[in-house]
Amino acid sequence: MKFSLTNSRTLLIAAASLALIGTAAAQDPIRIGLQAPLTGPWAVEGEMAQNSVQVVVDKINADGGVLGRQIEIVLGDDQGEPRQSALVAQRFVTQGVDAAIASYGSSVTEPAQLIYEDAGMLNIAYGATAVSLTSHGYEYFFRPTSRDDSEGAFFAEFATQTLGADRIAIVHDNTTFARGLADAAQESLGAYEGAEVVFFDAVTPGDRDFSAIVSRLRQQDPDVVYFTAYYPEAGLFIRQLRDAGVDIDFVGGNAAVNAEFIEIAGLDVAVGAMVLQEPLVADLEYTQAVDFHDEYVARHGAAPSTPWPVYAADSLNVIVAAMEATGSTDSADLAAWLHSGVTVDGITGEISFTEAGDRASAVIKVYVVDDEGQLEDTGY
Amino acid sequence: MDIFLEQLINGLTLGSIYALIALGYTMVYGILRLINFAHGDLFALGAYVGFTILGVVFSSDVRAIWLVLIVIALGATIPVVITSLTIERAAYRPLRTSHRLTTVVSALGAGIVIQNAIMLIWGSRYHAYPGWAVPSGRYEIFGVNITLMQIIILAISLLLMVALYMFVQRTVIGIAIRATATDHDTARLMGINVSGIIRLVFIIGPALGAIAGVMIGLYYRQIHYTMGWSYGLKAFTAAILGGIGNIPGAMLGGLLLGVLEIMGAGYISAAWKDAFVFVILILLLIFRPRGLLGERVAEKV
Repeated sequence: MKFSLTNSRTLLIAAASLALIGTAAAQDPIRIGLQAPLTGPWAVEGEMAQNSVQVVVDKINADGGVLGRQIEIVLGDDQGEPRQSALVAQRFVTQGVDAAIASYGSSVTEPAQLIYEDAGMLNIAYGATAVSLTSHGYEYFFRPTSRDDSEGAFFAEFATQTLGADRIAIVHDNTTFARGLADAAQESLGAYEGAEVVFFDAVTPGDRDFSAIVSRLRQQDPDVVYFTAYYPEAGLFIRQLRDAGVDIDFVGGNAAVNAEFIEIAGLDVAVGAMVLQEPLVADLEYTQAVDFHDEYVARHGAAPSTPWPVYAADSLNVIVAAMEATGSTDSADLAAWLHSGVTVDGITGEISFTEAGDRASAVIKVYVVDDEGQLEDTGY
Repeated sequence: MDIFLEQLINGLTLGSIYALIALGYTMVYGILRLINFAHGDLFALGAYVGFTILGVVFSSDVRAIWLVLIVIALGATIPVVITSLTIERAAYRPLRTSHRLTTVVSALGAGIVIQNAIMLIWGSRYHAYPGWAVPSGRYEIFGVNITLMQIIILAISLLLMVALYMFVQRTVIGIAIRATATDHDTARLMGINVSGIIRLVFIIGPALGAIAGVMIGLYYRQIHYTMGWSYGLKAFTAAILGGIGNIPGAMLGGLLLGVLEIMGAGYISAAWKDAFVFVILILLLIFRPRGLLGERVAEKV
């Protein structure tokens, strides 16, 4: 449990007195909560998100901050668990942070977004793509990422048209995100003549033995397998698939492939694995993206191995842009401004939101693991 | 039929690992009536120590993979056994005369300490056993797919289980273990060093667990500091299934649990395999509360 609770009591008192006076004193920082899986199975995603946000914070603070105030990040470790997520969200609300960046994983984000909504606090998810998250009509929830249904449709087209697959296997893990993505892909595949989903089943998160599901999948003789769950299971799954002599195309959903996937599977097995996801920051050409990429690499040696940490950084950019434009730190003002069809210049390009809080236009690309264990843009 | 045999082998491989871990639970329970909740984490510690030995001692040029396997399996057991004896001395022995629930809480605490120690030493990220250390090879026998690693796991587990069974049934020390399990005071009157026997049980069980940990690392390659909890729970279930306190019961329970789990995943749905396994466990406990081979009615814990 790592909570940065530095001077929380003093800050609470300060916040309370601020509310009484009604004016912002220049010396008090703006506090943004960052909810991330800093420990637990997805720890590497949490760490990359924290690093990415820090890059942006340092830049903004060096340029004089927002509304004349510095930004302070308050960390909350949700451990990739829905239960912890609710606790972290409650804590942020109690501490009175100004806005929250939360979180990675749709099932983890779900309980938190409800708490933030009830408290009227702006919250932006950086790695939560399940369709259902924006179907509740929430006012304070936004996400700068794509949605499962667009990726599902993209997979259907890619698998049938580019890979020429007829018999398709889909494996998910019953979490909100992976199940949603699997369902979306299955539904989209219905529109393609001749394409058939011959296998549809789930693995259990945290499990290691997929021999039964691999043996059964092999019997169905599919042309391609679409794995929509997360990377710890994806790495084990592809290895056990290859060990069983199944040499079909492996396509991962946008949480299945990163540096740890390659380490778990082994490079010899991971080579050629494909993943459908938002573009990596190394492949973005906007000035902001290049600057961010260079700074991140200078600090940590390598760029983030997934798109999500960059969206965490962009979530902060969105919050900051809204504060600058409205001159306010009140979530109601910020959310209203973000709903008004404005465009924010982010690391991942121009960001604007639909009425529901989804990103108006999101790009999905096909990446493949190359011989050196890097993700290479295939250009599809 | 081919697919059935293949799933059976998958299940027996998984089950033999459960059985090795379950033996640790059942032996401690048999002697002390204590559920050693730290056992799963000792197993995870074995997997991590094996991983470190592999990385530090050997390089990828080593040709004699068999030698490597023997060294890491033996090397992993020593720190695990030392940890286990320390726990026995520090967390269980002072509580031997106190209420049983107190010891269970102490065991849970010891498990949490080990799990967090693993996280502090090795970090919370996944680690992967290096690919060169894993004996690779795949055979197709009458249309049944089997890997070399599966054969190794089945062979080693079977060997260890038979050896343990013979040890407990045929040797003088084995008789002393069984006597202690039946009644501490009478055993002591017969001149048996009861404390020594308890220590011995805390050596054998975790040593088997450590070997299981190394085999898990080699078979699946991915290890994580929380793995002790999930495997511990399954192995504990296996011990209950076979009748806790009974050594052949733990072996049978482990194998049965592995096969049930794989058959559930293979023929019903992988998404529901755990539910399937636990429904069977509940049914078994309703109709046969002692477990498959259990002789005594379990006293309240």
